[in-house]
Amino acid sequence: MSAYTKAQPGSHHEAHDEDRAHELPYATQVRANRLGLWLFFISEFFLFGALLITRFYLWNVPGVGQTRPELSQELGLITTSILLLSSFFVYRGETAMTFGDRKTFTQSYLLAALLGLLFFVGVVVMEWNLFGLTLNMFGIEWFGHLKPSDGVHGGVFYMMTGMHALHVISGVGLLLIAWNRGRKGMYSVERHWGVEGIALYWHYVDVVWIFFYPALYLIGKAV
Amino acid sequence: MDEQKKAAFRQGNIVVLLLAVLTIAEFAIAIVNGSTVFLFIIALIKAAVIVQVFMHVSRLWREESH
Repeated sequence: MSAYTKAQPGSHHEAHDEDRAHELPYATQVRANRLGLWLFFISEFFLFGALLITRFYLWNVPGVGQTRPELSQELGLITTSILLLSSFFVYRGETAMTFGDRKTFTQSYLLAALLGLLFFVGVVVMEWNLFGLTLNMFGIEWFGHLKPSDGVHGGVFYMMTGMHALHVISGVGLLLIAWNRGRKGMYSVERHWGVEGIALYWHYVDVVWIFFYPALYLIGKAV
Repeated sequence: MDEQKKAAFRQGNIVVLLLAVLTIAEFAIAIVNGSTVFLFIIALIKAAVIVQVFMHVSRLWREESH
């Protein structure tokens, strides 16, 4: 579908059309944007891949094998579930916009942003324990005790979760921008690259955590 | 149109259920033996499902815009 159609010669749209003559048809723009975003994901893969390799190299102790810091397993599972759920709502929102259902779109994106924020709080406030709190409820340690200065375990853990959390918080901001624009009716069934682009970004952030979660919480002997 | 929308939503529901089951499986495997290979394979399956269904990677090779 082409969003740009040339005006008839002499019409009052002609001058404006000349200004926009350099623009590509919307479908071409979307395909180029999509390809560009995937290329960005590939470049990010090198960053997150390097962090994963660092973890497996530095947490490997001769004679012991792979190790990991002692972390609250339940907190890790809860934060991971929250992020997966937010990805589901982003999918739901994007699908709704594809079919012109603006109400479901705005509800889903807002919910996804809130879940993303909850994940951020779970990692940065609770797992990092920014405020030095202690809470044991339902047999779960709700606040972590690992510090960045705790050797290779602390250093690598904070580097990986910090880099990921930075992507999460920027994704939350983008989700809220898309939600606000959608609320104002700035997207349509034919034109909603903003919705698709942030959905792709958010799912990518989720995919990264899918590899980080076992690497940080599950693989290796807790020391 | 309505049927297509319902089918798309249903697909999302199935995927999120699958992801939940695989995440619990990961957790259980880690408690039982913590096999790096198994955990890595499960992570790969989860990532592949998200890339295929949620990220619509096949759109990269298609002509239409949305």
